[in-house]
Amino acid sequence: MSGPLGRFRPPVRAKGDGYLIDLGADESAMIRRLVGELRELLAEEATDPRSHALLARLFPVTHPDDAELEAEYQRLMRDELVQSKLGAFDAVDAALAGDGRVDEAQLVGVMQSINSLRLVLGTMLGIDDRDPDEPDEPDEPDDVDPGLADSAEYHLYNYLSWLLEWCVRALS
Amino acid sequence: MEVVRYATRPGRAGHNGRVPTTLEPTRVREPELDEHVAEDHPWVVIVWNDPVNLMSYVTYVLQKLFGYSNEKATELMLDVHHKGKAVVANDTRERAEMHVFRLHEHGLWATMEHDGPSS
Repeated sequence: MSGPLGRFRPPVRAKGDGYLIDLGADESAMIRRLVGELRELLAEEATDPRSHALLARLFPVTHPDDAELEAEYQRLMRDELVQSKLGAFDAVDAALAGDGRVDEAQLVGVMQSINSLRLVLGTMLGIDDRDPDEPDEPDEPDDVDPGLADSAEYHLYNYLSWLLEWCVRALS
Repeated sequence: MEVVRYATRPGRAGHNGRVPTTLEPTRVREPELDEHVAEDHPWVVIVWNDPVNLMSYVTYVLQKLFGYSNEKATELMLDVHHKGKAVVANDTRERAEMHVFRLHEHGLWATMEHDGPSS
C-alpha cells in the first residue's frame, strides 16, 4: 500500500548520492503556493507595512547598539539576504516541480524556505516568548494567541515544523 | 524555540503524531570559544531565544556554520533556550558580520556587539 495508510516513510530522506523530498502532490502544491505568497510579500515589503511586519523575523537587526553600523550593514548586506531567500525559494520550486530528488545545497534551500514560512506564520499567530517550562493549560496550546489554536495557519505551522524536523534529520 | 513540548505532547506536533527530536551524534572539530576572546577577535556573535525556531534546527545550524560537535552545539542551543541568548562565536568585525549573515540566511535571530572597550 503506498497511500496514506501504508507504511510510514520519512518525507525527506537520503537517496543515492543525494536526498529525496517525498511529498504528495497536494502537499507539494500547497508548499509551492505558500512560497509564491512569500515572494509576493518580499516584493511589496518596502512599500507595504503589513508585509514589512510579517517579514520582520526574516530580517533581524545586526547591530542593535549602533545605528550607524546598522545602516552601513544593511546598505551592504540587505539585498544579498533578499537574494539568498529568493534563491532558497527557487530550490523549493525546482525540487517540488520535479521528482523530488535534490542535492545537499538544494535541500538546505528547501529547509531554509520552510523555516521562513514558519517564521512568517509564527508572526501571524502571535507565537511569542512565553515560558516554555510553564505548565500548559489543558487542551490549550501554550504559544499561540487565544482562539487561533484551531486555525488553519496553526495546523500549517505544525505541519511545517514536522517537515523541518525531517529535513534536519536527513541532513544530520 | 519550541520543540521541547513535543517531548511531552507527541500527538500535537504533526500529522503522523511523531516528530523527531534528536540528532545522531557526530564527531567534528570543537573550537573553544574562550581561547578566541582576544584583542583581534573583539566582536561577539549572539543568538537570541526565538519561540519559533526549533531546538533541533538551531543545533543543526550551529554545527553546520561553526563546525561545533553535536554536544557543543546542543549546549549552546540550550543556553539560548534557557538563558535567552548565547555567544556562538567571536571574531573580527568583518567575519562576525559574515557569521550573522549566514545565521540570518537560516532564519536565526542573531546580532553582534563589541566585546569590551570600544575601539
